[in-house]
Amino acid sequence: MKDVVETTVTFSLDGDDVTVPEGTTIWEAAHGRGLVIPHLCHKPAPGYRPDGNCRACMVEVEGERTLVASCIRPAADDMVVKTDTERAEKSRKLVVELLVADQPETAHDVSSHFWDMAKANGVEGSRFPAIERTRVPLLDDSHVAMEVNLDACIHCNLCVRACRDVQVNDVIGMAGRGHDAKIVFDQDDPMGNSSCVACGECVQACPTGALLPATVQGDTKDYDREVESVCPYCGVGCQLSFKVKDDKILYVDGIDGPANENRLCVKGRFGFDYIDHAHRLTKPLIRREDAPAKGLNVDPANIHTHFREATWDEALDAAANGMKGRGREIAGFGSAKCSNEEAYLFQKMIRQGFGHNNVDHCTRLCHASSVAALMENVGSGAVTATFNEIENADVAIVIGANPTENHPVAATYFKQFAKRGGKLIVMDPRGQGLKRHASHMLQFKPGADVSMLNAIMHVIVEEGLYDQQYIEAFTENWDAMKEHLKGFPPEKMSEICGIEADVLRDVARTFAGAKAGMIFWGMGISQHIHGTDNSRCLISLALMTGQVGRPGSGLHPLRGQNNVQGASDAGLIPMFLPDYQSVTDDGVRSAFTDVWNSGDFSAEKGLTVVEIMHAIHDGDIKGMYVLGENPAMSDPDVEHARDALAKLDHLVVQDIFLTETANYADVILPSSAWAEKTGTVTNTNRQVQMGRPVVPPPGEAREDWWIEVELAKRLGLDWTYTHPSQVFAEMKLNMGSLDNITWDRLEQAAVTYPSLSPEDPGQPIVFGDGFPRPEGRARFTPANVIPPDEVPDAEYPFVLITGRQLEHWHTGSMTRRASVLDGLEPEANCSLHPKTLRALGVEPGEYVRLTTRRGSISVMARADRAVAEENVFIPFAYVEAAANILTNASLDPFGKIPEFKFSAVRVEKAEALAAE
Amino acid sequence: MLEDKDRIFTNLYGMHDRTLQGAKARGHWDGTAGLIEKGRDWIVDQMKASGLRGRGGAGFPTGLKWSFMPKESDGRPSYLVVNADESEPGTCKDREIMRHDPHTLIEGCLIASFAMGANTCYIYLRGEYIREREALQAAIDECYDAGLLGRNAAGSGWDFDLFLHHGAGAYICGEETALLESLEGKKGMPRMKPPFPAGAGLYGCPTTVNNVESIAVVPTVLRRGAEWFAGFGRPNNTGTKLFAISGHVENPCVVEEAMSISFEELIEKHCGGIRGGWDNLKAVIPGGSSVPCLPGKIMKDECIMDFDWLREQKSGLGTAAVIVMDNSTDIIKAIWRLAAFYKHESCGQCTPCREGTGWMMRVMDRLVKGEAEIEEIDMLLDVTKQVEGHTICALGDAAAWPIQGLVRHFRDEIEDRIRAKQTGKVSAVAAE
Repeated sequence: MKDVVETTVTFSLDGDDVTVPEGTTIWEAAHGRGLVIPHLCHKPAPGYRPDGNCRACMVEVEGERTLVASCIRPAADDMVVKTDTERAEKSRKLVVELLVADQPETAHDVSSHFWDMAKANGVEGSRFPAIERTRVPLLDDSHVAMEVNLDACIHCNLCVRACRDVQVNDVIGMAGRGHDAKIVFDQDDPMGNSSCVACGECVQACPTGALLPATVQGDTKDYDREVESVCPYCGVGCQLSFKVKDDKILYVDGIDGPANENRLCVKGRFGFDYIDHAHRLTKPLIRREDAPAKGLNVDPANIHTHFREATWDEALDAAANGMKGRGREIAGFGSAKCSNEEAYLFQKMIRQGFGHNNVDHCTRLCHASSVAALMENVGSGAVTATFNEIENADVAIVIGANPTENHPVAATYFKQFAKRGGKLIVMDPRGQGLKRHASHMLQFKPGADVSMLNAIMHVIVEEGLYDQQYIEAFTENWDAMKEHLKGFPPEKMSEICGIEADVLRDVARTFAGAKAGMIFWGMGISQHIHGTDNSRCLISLALMTGQVGRPGSGLHPLRGQNNVQGASDAGLIPMFLPDYQSVTDDGVRSAFTDVWNSGDFSAEKGLTVVEIMHAIHDGDIKGMYVLGENPAMSDPDVEHARDALAKLDHLVVQDIFLTETANYADVILPSSAWAEKTGTVTNTNRQVQMGRPVVPPPGEAREDWWIEVELAKRLGLDWTYTHPSQVFAEMKLNMGSLDNITWDRLEQAAVTYPSLSPEDPGQPIVFGDGFPRPEGRARFTPANVIPPDEVPDAEYPFVLITGRQLEHWHTGSMTRRASVLDGLEPEANCSLHPKTLRALGVEPGEYVRLTTRRGSISVMARADRAVAEENVFIPFAYVEAAANILTNASLDPFGKIPEFKFSAVRVEKAEALAAE
Repeated sequence: MLEDKDRIFTNLYGMHDRTLQGAKARGHWDGTAGLIEKGRDWIVDQMKASGLRGRGGAGFPTGLKWSFMPKESDGRPSYLVVNADESEPGTCKDREIMRHDPHTLIEGCLIASFAMGANTCYIYLRGEYIREREALQAAIDECYDAGLLGRNAAGSGWDFDLFLHHGAGAYICGEETALLESLEGKKGMPRMKPPFPAGAGLYGCPTTVNNVESIAVVPTVLRRGAEWFAGFGRPNNTGTKLFAISGHVENPCVVEEAMSISFEELIEKHCGGIRGGWDNLKAVIPGGSSVPCLPGKIMKDECIMDFDWLREQKSGLGTAAVIVMDNSTDIIKAIWRLAAFYKHESCGQCTPCREGTGWMMRVMDRLVKGEAEIEEIDMLLDVTKQVEGHTICALGDAAAWPIQGLVRHFRDEIEDRIRAKQTGKVSAVAAE
């Protein structure tokens, strides 16, 4: 790094000469030497700029009339700074004393930073009279997750910076002037009525207890222990710290993980109490002989109508006996919510125990097509750069992703990027949350991705904006691509995609003109029958502009689940062994069977999620082992899937709740929630992180890996693991991606793969010098416009798009049992454009009946201008109105992913539900 | 007394033609292009030689301030911003310039902007100045029509645009960095310094913020020569100056006078003396509400109205808004009123000011009524010392100084009132 010459300054600090890099503030310099200058409004954490408003960190600088706020003043050469003069100390003390005067008699948080600082300044009480009683702000408990106690507010502004600078939600502001200045939410609304998204960043930033998690009563330090782990929800992989009292999680703080830098969202921070829900499974269960016929008919609050409790031995025996020796009659669904080790064990059990590859998991339903396209054209299924790399970009495309709701912490980086002046190009059929931050918002017609992207690439070719040098050095098939794109002029494509030609041209020029550009995508791209084509287009776009492999450039499919990357890496895929090594390769298989010390299994690619359901209907598959998956909610055309599950003669479900899938089980094995187990996870950034047990599992529930091992033993496999670290060590034998990454390292810190040495924290950017393909060249694969499988017609005139909501996770089995999340978003809903609603004669809040060729549901309707006219958006987390009853099971031919994002639907006003 | 021939503001009272034609007849806009032709260095040197100190209150040498602006652009434009947010209680001098003699200011804006390499200048006008805005905008429009502003302004070869921006009525926006924030469309809150505006001011570009009067005198100073201007007043306190005398004088007025005029002469010549005679003079706030008051006796016997003398008395010339109070004044209540003003106008950004101004007012409240303990006077003084110099901007100082002046010169009166109240109470209790 020759070009980075760090200039330093030398100044005198309390008589010592101190040399620090230029730009270092006096406070930082002092802090670096262990001298803590009192501070209130300054939060030494990433993302928080110093503000200098509290004046609690004042120091004396020789030659200056006034004292200086050390937190914001950069040290300069020959500056003489004194922190311990009488004047400075007296001034700091007065600040605290003035603030103490107005504090409530009983502190909301006796352990807050403010009281620490008061102590540090030797202030216990105040000589000054308290604020007039009539002017004490009233408490605001309108929010289900947070308490607002502005009587303790010291106007330090940290919550404003938290909300505006760090999370960029722009809800909190400082209103009024002078003594009447106050923190407000939106237009001085109660917090619970404001547009607050409950990320809780302000709560973590507040130094006084004016903003507190509702679960804390009077003292944030009143806990027994804190455990650092990883968030159980999305693929961002935020690190967090659980505060535990009496073996219950009291509250959660974000910590400085590589992906989240202390930030969290509402799910990670407040969605933790599902693990204590009364529905938790605490004992192994076996289906009663006299149980009613299999169906979606079990009340999770009263499972004894269908199941009886059993000992572990009995349940494991029953589970194993129903599967043992049945070979191809048994298939398995693993989970992207468990650890890498558990995913590895699961695929190993199916392959080693049953001799075939019919093992899959929910990656099939989210990014299978992205992975297919990436494997085909780039040679690797993972992201080429971390999402945090957007920091170094000047243009970024976010397409078919709604990160403000589904990857909220990643979205904060995108919003910051836009705030800094980065050009954010958002492409989505819905005018989603990033629109407000976008330089270009392309609200295109659902399913028209390829036409739009090809048109953009057409312009890049036509106007010669491509990176010839990069293309020559690192790609193949360019000439065919160029020729192919001739057929997609924006003027012609704009009819198909609904975006004006000059906008497409502008976007093409903007992205091609980027110094560093990134492309992010989500399931709006992947969940189509042309999902692989969609991804191919994005890959081609990045390749032709040379936007891969440099800082601030890259391809990043935002992964959905906390460990979908890791579970895929670990081989929970029917066509791949760990590290995407093909099952058809004899050498690969033998490398694994050598380690496993067992005979060869099948060279035939296995069946995928939806194919397995079909195979059940066809009678080929008769038993299943489902670990932490919920196909009875998550599969497309879910009634078809449920019927399949009902047909099985032996279904073993391992989960923490009696999921919809478990309704159909013969044996249910109660497992541990993420916060109750040890194991590693890999996030969307390829960062491998350690999950640690925070609390013990309830009752007799056990960690998943233990259950897997016990089951495998009963299936006749010679498994002797006693700790996940042993599994991890075995994984390393055949997974080059884990080179230099050891369990011990992960105990210390997260490591990004690939890691080039035992000290290398990992490579955030890959493929700067070529691709893992023949000759190191990535490939252009032209894509053609294919219409969605089921286009609207007279009978089903609208387009149905499924997705998720900020508060709910996947099928809702966890989040709908988390009190805060369920409190915030308690009811099944769908969103339509107000115009469409009016045309239907439906008031917002009334019910509509949605009907497709597969089925029909009744659901509450909301008005939302973000949804295009004649479109319906529906989240799939609600069992009472399961969106997947409606969805189409047609598959993308390469990724075998269903078209969740497009179904033809009929919408009618529904009669009000009969009172129960 | 300043002779009429030496007045810069020849239409201060609006008795003559306010239009461009009238201004030209009085000698303004005369040879402007020629002044600019002499180059920016010459202009800055002349301003330095004139000894002009900023008329907005702080008294920083204007020429020196201009010289901080970059000579060469690094790609960013430079700006001149004229602070016309004249809101200090007692101060009403700039409004007379803007409504009656606006061309002095406009011509000054062009020359000063040229001298600082600024092609754009903003005048930030106090929100309550409605008529002033109309007059000033009319004058600006006239100048555009006459080619004195805009491309090749006044035939000088310098392209120059002048924008009048109307504030929304917050006192704090008279603080130069809060003014810049407000001008940028944000809430008027002072910025942390450094960086100073000359390095990163409006929109992060090099900016100089000058008071109306400082700019308005520039053309005449250049035309008549720095020596002429420097010939008035004592060394380091040169020039002519607008004084705004209010309160208990026979004829309150705004008048242009030579610097370093004695207080007595100023009052006698222009204001018809003190109401009820000089013996009736109790106290004077010599420079606008933020400077400490001085007792009448000192003012009559010794006072030289300039920066240095008043500073020696631990007061200040400020904006030269002279507030005269006779013996009918409840001086404690008068200062309480100022404390109330500063509490109301504190922006609330930094703790000592937000909390301190409120707290100081509360204590002043009690001192007015005498419902306090003698020790509270020292505690109050202590707090003013802690607020002073510890806030982000000078509003904290401005709030602290009047109280310090009160305690310094009228402590007896405060103590008397407290004692009277206490004895009153005691006797009242005894009577029961």
